[in-house]
Amino acid sequence: MSKYGEIHTFLREEKYLVEALKEMGYQIEVHPEGALLNSYYSDQEAKVANIIIRRDQLRGAYGDVGFVRQPDGQFAMIKDELDEYRGYGARWLGRVQQLYKEKQTLAMARAKGYTLKSREVIETSQGEQVRLQFVARR
Amino acid sequence: MQEKTITITLDERGNSTLDLEGFAGHGCEKAFDDFRGGDMVKVERKKPAYYTGHVVEREKSHR
Repeated sequence: MSKYGEIHTFLREEKYLVEALKEMGYQIEVHPEGALLNSYYSDQEAKVANIIIRRDQLRGAYGDVGFVRQPDGQFAMIKDELDEYRGYGARWLGRVQQLYKEKQTLAMARAKGYTLKSREVIETSQGEQVRLQFVARR
Repeated sequence: MQEKTITITLDERGNSTLDLEGFAGHGCEKAFDDFRGGDMVKVERKKPAYYTGHVVEREKSHR
């Protein structure tokens, strides 16, 4: 082996974020200029997002879930605070990041000439892992 | 010649591990950066083969 690294995924590319959310079964609204999120309490401060999943698609959620483009180019998740405990917290976001990174990696590898050798899904005590193995051109 | 492989393992918490085998020197850095894709590196460790590769490349370049 020649190098090992541990990496944390940032959501930067809209295309792969939308693809990841669609793969999770959601219909996505994309608003380049931003659109309002609906929340449980109508008197809550209105939040604006660029990518939105409406609450009628989010089982048990109090409000819509959205992603808003930050000044540094990353997408940040925004949601009703109550939904942190309704299945739309860090674990849900981690699944989005996992799918996003897989799609981004496969597209990059195709574009740069790496060959996908295998794809495995591994069950672990900490959830499902996806292992992709590529071969580089000489 | 050893095959150059890249193994990326993606977990459900937004983290991944990247393991490169058969690379040396600059080629290793380039592949690492390709697969990092602009994400944040939390841990990075070079393996012995990385340095071995450097020496071989230097020897070749002096011929």
